[in-house]
Amino acid sequence: MRLQIKLALYNAISKALIIVGIGILMPSIVEKVVYNHIEKRLDARLEKMLLMVQKGGLDEITLDQDCSWDSYNVFKEEYVSIYPLDKMPDDFGARHIENTERVIENEVVKHRVLSQAFIYDNQIYKIEVGEGLSTVDQMNQTLRNFMIRILVIVILISIFLDLGFARILLRPFNKIVNQKLKTIKHPANFKGEQIKSTTYEFEYLDKSINEMMQKIKETFQAEREFITNVSHEILTPISILRNRIENMINEPGVPADVMARLADSQKTLARLTRVVKALLQISKIENDQYVKNDKVSVRTLVEEVLAELSEWQEERQIGIQREWECDFDFSPCNMTLLHTLFFNIISNAIKYSHENSSIFISGRKTEQGYSLSIRDTGIGIKPEHLPYIFDRFKRFRPEDEMSYGLGLPIVKSIASFHGLQVSVKSVWGEGSEFIVVFPEAV
Amino acid sequence: MNVLIVEDERLLSHEIEIFLTKQGYHCDVAFNGKSASEKVFVNSYDFVLLDIGLPDYNGLQLLKEAKEGGRDASFIMLTARGSIDDKITGLDLGADDYLAKPFSLLELQARMQAILRRKHGLKNNTIPIYDFLMDIQNRSVHYNSNPINLTKKEFDILHYMALHKNRVITRIQLTEHIWGDVLEEDYESNYIDVHIKNLRKKLSAYSNSDFIETVRGIGYRLNMP
Repeated sequence: MRLQIKLALYNAISKALIIVGIGILMPSIVEKVVYNHIEKRLDARLEKMLLMVQKGGLDEITLDQDCSWDSYNVFKEEYVSIYPLDKMPDDFGARHIENTERVIENEVVKHRVLSQAFIYDNQIYKIEVGEGLSTVDQMNQTLRNFMIRILVIVILISIFLDLGFARILLRPFNKIVNQKLKTIKHPANFKGEQIKSTTYEFEYLDKSINEMMQKIKETFQAEREFITNVSHEILTPISILRNRIENMINEPGVPADVMARLADSQKTLARLTRVVKALLQISKIENDQYVKNDKVSVRTLVEEVLAELSEWQEERQIGIQREWECDFDFSPCNMTLLHTLFFNIISNAIKYSHENSSIFISGRKTEQGYSLSIRDTGIGIKPEHLPYIFDRFKRFRPEDEMSYGLGLPIVKSIASFHGLQVSVKSVWGEGSEFIVVFPEAV
Repeated sequence: MNVLIVEDERLLSHEIEIFLTKQGYHCDVAFNGKSASEKVFVNSYDFVLLDIGLPDYNGLQLLKEAKEGGRDASFIMLTARGSIDDKITGLDLGADDYLAKPFSLLELQARMQAILRRKHGLKNNTIPIYDFLMDIQNRSVHYNSNPINLTKKEFDILHYMALHKNRVITRIQLTEHIWGDVLEEDYESNYIDVHIKNLRKKLSAYSNSDFIETVRGIGYRLNMP
């Protein structure tokens, strides 16, 4: 999830929680405040009534037949009632307040009622002073509805505001991600222009990325120069030796045994050359010194390699079984490097196949992409060697003196240069299968 | 044939000079760009073997100047830097060929001959080997107008040996010529033996093929008067 959305969402949720909390608590708070007011009012009224009774006696109030008296105002909002009690209440003198429903003229009206017992003329009376609650309830309901609407509106506005604000706030950050991390695939293409921001963290991030990339760029450039120098410094002396041996072999009068030793030296030198060149090639690929602007049909290129190797393969009486379900055009790529990749895998397959066996080559579409498989039924790879065959630093020489060489490490570096997946399955004594997966439509 | 060897590494320059002199070329050497530049413009050469990585001069620059100055020598670039760009730039500037160090002297000579053939547009591009006739243009070998069906590699081997007749060619030289340096381990050079065996078999069907001599433990030699 994007940071901007996450921030807005977090803000919205936290606001919603606060507002919902207020929404839940508000009515009861309002009720409490209102009741408090009512109680004070009722208290005053009760006091006034009691004073009236004390002063003028109950005679002033016309009592009914049953010696009780009720008075309601027109809207049944307030009332006073005095009626005799049969016995003395336990808590005489205490005032009680409660909500009761009174039926007045066939209408149920909720009241807040304050009551107290008092003695007048040796008779115990109870006086009740009440106030109707319908207005209060109504007000509470209105308040609640109003609150809910306001809540929804406030949350919506706040989400939009937060989104917008987060967007503005995160603009430099997004710029850093898009300009410096997403699009730059290679340090050589990196331009260290500053991205302006008033936020300290973003400024720091941008600065750090610039510094790191600059360092990587310098290292990369240094490596490039180093490779060039190493090439020159190592290949020149090899060159001298090589040409000198070539000249010596053909000098008249060189004894046969010396000549054979010279030829052996030539072989050793050739081996040294190959190793140096292979290592240099891997370094160059990893140093991104090759361009990728070819488009290649996998099938055509594999067939080209097969044609090149056909004499060797026929010599060893090895058959090639093809199974092209479809072809794949791969671009952008470096054709020379891909050629080397196929050549190394296929020539290995021929090298390690038994005579009179077959190599199976297939190309098909899979979920992961286009998959090229090269399978032989040759000697296979020992399980303990299997994890290291692509590793140029893990060199091993099996007892039979057959080295795996640097062909597969080159394959690996070419593959990762092009974003290809290379995997190997092998059973010792039964054969190996190399699978190259080309990502679909890059 | 006049050749100018432009190479700052004197030992290397010396070996190239020894080899080419033996092959009948007249060699001149330059150890830096300045003297090379002078020599290219003063003298007339058929070939300039040009090391790109000169201490005082960019070889590519020298090539550019020479070509712009209308010198018609054939340029072969030699480089140990192994940069792909150099190769492309050099060929674009009009170099005739490119050899990466270390190269075989035999390969150098083969390239020089190929350039000569190209340049002079030799129509009659054939090499007689006893009763056999090699046609370089059409890549075919005939015995009295009977075509002999050779594979590509067999033809290349025979051609290479004919180019360097009376000279021992080691297995590794032959292997590198026909495979480049793509094959990894030296035991594969045994395939050269197989190719030679097949080649002899095919030639013997028509005539004696003893002119291909096996030099024990070393390689082969094509003997021809």
